Amino acid sequence: MKNYKEIFWQEILPRLEKPTRYLGNEVNAQIKNHEQCTMRIALVFPDLYEIGMSHLGLKILYHLLNERPQWVAERVFMPGADLEKIMREENFPLCSLETVTPLAAFDLVGVTLQYELSYTTVLQMLDLAGIPLLAADRSESDPLVVGGGPGAFNPEPIAGFFDFFVIGDAEEVLPEIVQVLEEHKNLSRQERLLRLVALPGVYVPSLYEAQQTAAGTFLKLAPAHPSAPARVRRAVVADLDEAYYPTDFVVPYGSIVHDRLVLEIFRGCSRGCRFCQAGMIYRPVRERKKETLRQMAQKMVRSTGYEEVALSSLSSGDYSAIGELIQDLSADLAGEGVFLSLPSLRLDSFSQDLARQSQQVRKSGLTFAPEAGTQRLRDVINKNITEAELISAVRDAFAAGWTNIKLYFMLGLPAETDDDLLGIVHLVQQVLNTYKQAGGKGRPQITVSASVFVPKAHTPFQWFGQIPEAEIRRRQDLLRRHLRLPGVHFQWHGAEMSLLEAAIARGGRELVPVILRAAKLGCKLDSWDEHFRFDLWQQAFTENGLDLAACAQRQYALTDPLPWDHIDAGVSKRFLQREYERALKGETTKDCREGCLGCGIALLLDKENRGVCINENLD
Amino acid sequence: MRIWIEFALRESLRFLSHLDLMRTWQRALRRASLPLVYSQGFNPHPRMAFASALPVGATSLGEYVDIQFAINITDKEMAALQAELPAGLEILQWRVVPKKAPALMSIVKAAEWSVKVPDDQELPERVQKLLQSASLPIVRRTKRKVSTIDIKPYLYRLELKPSGRLEMLLAMGGTGGTKPREVLELLQIPAAGSDLVRQKLLLAAGPYLQSPMAVLLKEKEVFFNAKADYYQL
Repeated sequence: MKNYKEIFWQEILPRLEKPTRYLGNEVNAQIKNHEQCTMRIALVFPDLYEIGMSHLGLKILYHLLNERPQWVAERVFMPGADLEKIMREENFPLCSLETVTPLAAFDLVGVTLQYELSYTTVLQMLDLAGIPLLAADRSESDPLVVGGGPGAFNPEPIAGFFDFFVIGDAEEVLPEIVQVLEEHKNLSRQERLLRLVALPGVYVPSLYEAQQTAAGTFLKLAPAHPSAPARVRRAVVADLDEAYYPTDFVVPYGSIVHDRLVLEIFRGCSRGCRFCQAGMIYRPVRERKKETLRQMAQKMVRSTGYEEVALSSLSSGDYSAIGELIQDLSADLAGEGVFLSLPSLRLDSFSQDLARQSQQVRKSGLTFAPEAGTQRLRDVINKNITEAELISAVRDAFAAGWTNIKLYFMLGLPAETDDDLLGIVHLVQQVLNTYKQAGGKGRPQITVSASVFVPKAHTPFQWFGQIPEAEIRRRQDLLRRHLRLPGVHFQWHGAEMSLLEAAIARGGRELVPVILRAAKLGCKLDSWDEHFRFDLWQQAFTENGLDLAACAQRQYALTDPLPWDHIDAGVSKRFLQREYERALKGETTKDCREGCLGCGIALLLDKENRGVCINENLD
Repeated sequence: MRIWIEFALRESLRFLSHLDLMRTWQRALRRASLPLVYSQGFNPHPRMAFASALPVGATSLGEYVDIQFAINITDKEMAALQAELPAGLEILQWRVVPKKAPALMSIVKAAEWSVKVPDDQELPERVQKLLQSASLPIVRRTKRKVSTIDIKPYLYRLELKPSGRLEMLLAMGGTGGTKPREVLELLQIPAAGSDLVRQKLLLAAGPYLQSPMAVLLKEKEVFFNAKADYYQL
C-alpha cells in the first residue's frame, strides 16, 4: 500500500487552512498498529471535525471499541472544502485521522446519523473513499457500512446506502456485532449479515421488501428472508450506571463547537413533549448515580486537563438529586480549577435553590425552552410549564446573577395561530419586565430562537405535515416585526432547510434515489448555509417524480401504514395515537415518573432492569 | 515559583497555531496536577506566556515559555509535566527566574533559523549578492497600508551550508526585525514545503546576544554572562 501518511504530512497538510483538524495525534487518541489488529473499524461522523468531535456518542464508541487490544477504531470526518478539492484533484482517498488509512481498507465503517441534513455528506464521504454508494453495488472486498443514531429510527430514506443499521444504544450491541464479524471474517457479505440479524437492534434493509396494497399504495416492509424479524427491536442499555463511559476523551488542539468535558448524567426523558423524538426514542429515564458521576468527572479532568465540565442529558434539571449533584460536583471541581456548566435546564426545574447552589457555576448563559407562546399551545404539545413558572425561574436566575438568557420556541406547531406567536412576544416582554423588577442593571441579553417544527418519526406528531413554506415565512416575519425590542436578539432558522429536513424525516425508500441524485449534483453539508443548495435538492426530487414541498407537508391518517412501522422503538403506536388525540383536544399528559402511562417501553427491558418502569402494568 | 522552560517542538506538532500551543500546555499542566498562579478578575487565566509565536509549519529546537507556579518546582515536577506533554513537545532545559524578571516577549532580540533549500547552482551567488548589498528593501502589506522597509540591518548572519541548508540569524522583537519568509523571498526560494527550523531564541545582553538559559538575572535586570556562549553583533 502507498505510504498515505507520508504523502499526507509532507505534501498535503502544509497547504491546508486548518491543518490541526487532521493531525490525528491528539492527546488520548488511540494509535495502534493495524497489522496486529483483527478488526479495523472506522467511525464516521458526516460533518467537519469541529462538529463531530463535539459528539458524545462518537467518543463512547471510539473508546469502547479500542478497549479491546486486538480491535482498532479510528475517526473519520468530512474534510474541509480545501482538502476535499485536493483529494478529488489529486486522487487522494478519504482516510482515517489516526494512521491515515484509506476508509476502504477498514473492515467496518460505522456512520453516525444525527440529522437528516447530513445524509448527502455520508455519500460524499463514501465517494471520496472509493466505496460504492449503494450497498447492492459493493463487492466482497469493500467494508460493511453500518448506520446508527437517531436517523436510524427511520432508516428507509437511506436504506439503500447501508448494509445494516443499529437501532438504539449502540454501545449495548456494537461490541457483539464486531465480535460476530471477527469470528466470521471469511464468510461472504450476505452470510455475515445473516449472522448479525439475530442481534438486538440490527436491521438489514436488503432482507426486507416493500409490500403494496391492491391499489398500489405502500403497505409495509416485510422480511424477505426467514432469518429477518418482522419488527426490529431497539437495543437498550438497561443499567446506565454500570454502562461503559470513557473518561479519557481525546483533547483537540484547536477549539471545537463544544470544547469541554461532557458528563452524561442520565439518558431518556419522562416528560413526554409530543413533538420531541429524543423524548420518545431514548426512553426510559436511566440515571447514573451521583457518586459514579463524581468519580467520572474527576477521572475525566485528570486525563484530559480540560477546564470545563458540562452536565449533559435531555433535561438536566430532572435529575433526581440535581441540587446535591451540582453542589458536590462544583465543590470537587473548584479544587481542580475547573468550571461546571449546565446546559439544557428545564425552566420549571430551575428553582431558587438550584440557582443558589450554582453560585460557583460559570454564568455563561441559561437556556430555557418554553417552545410555545401560550398555555393553550403548550398544552397541545404537552410542554407542562406555566407562564408563572417561567417568570419565577427567570426571576431566580436574574437574582442569582445571570444576565444572558436564551429562550427557545418552535414555530409551525400543530394548531398554532397568530395569537400563539404574539404570546411569544408577550412572554419576552414579561421577561424584560422581570429583569427591571429584579433590579438588573442596564439591559439583559435575551436571545429568542424560533426553529421551525419538523414532524419526526416515532413521536405523537408523526402524522402531522409541516406547514407550507410561504406560511413559515409569514410567521417568521410576524415574529421578527414584533420582537424588535431593546436587549432582545431574535434568531430564526432557514425555511428551506426545515422544509428539506421535514421532507426526509418521514419519507420512505422512494427517497433513496432522490438523496443519491442530490449527492451526485454536488449537495453536501446541507446544514451549513454556505453549502446548502435548495435548487439542487428540488431538482433531485423533481427528477424522481416527487415534490419536495408535498413530501414535507404530507399528512398521514392515524390508520395509514408508516414507512418506519417495522422499527420498534419501544414506545407503542397505540400510545402515540392516544397522545395525538389528546393533543387535538388540548389535553396534557403527566410526567411518567408520577405514574405509568403504559407507553410500552417496559416490554423492552428485563423485569429486574426496568428502573422507572418497574410499576408498569403490562396487561 | 516563576520559571522559564526551553522546549523543542517537533514535526508532529508543527501545524499547531500559537493559540493551540497555549491550550496544549495549559491542559498538560492541569493533567500533571501542577497548580499555577492565576490572574485576578472575572475570567482568571493562568500566568503563562510564550517568548514568541512560531510560524505554523515550522519546528523548533529552542522555544520558551514563562510559567508562574503556585508551588516549588524541582526536576520531579518537570518530569511529571514532560510525561503529560504530547509527543512532539520536549522540555530541554528550565531555570527559576526572579519574580520581577521582564517578560520574555519584551527582551527576545533575535532568532537563529535553519531551512532546507532546493538544489540551485546560482543560489550561492544570490546569497553573496544579498550579503554585499548596502540595503535590502522589501514591501510589507498590512490591511491598512503598504510600506517599504530595509531589512539589511536585521540580517545579522546568512550562510549556505554544504549540507544544503541555509542558516540565518535574524533580528526580531519590538525594535524591528525580519522573518525567514522575507529573506527566502529575496533569494527567490519558494517557502512552501521547505522544512523551517527555529534553532535558538536569543536575548540582548549589552552588545551581545545570549540564550535566555545563559543570561544572568537580577530583579528586573538582564546581564551578559561571560562564562556562557554568546553572539557578538
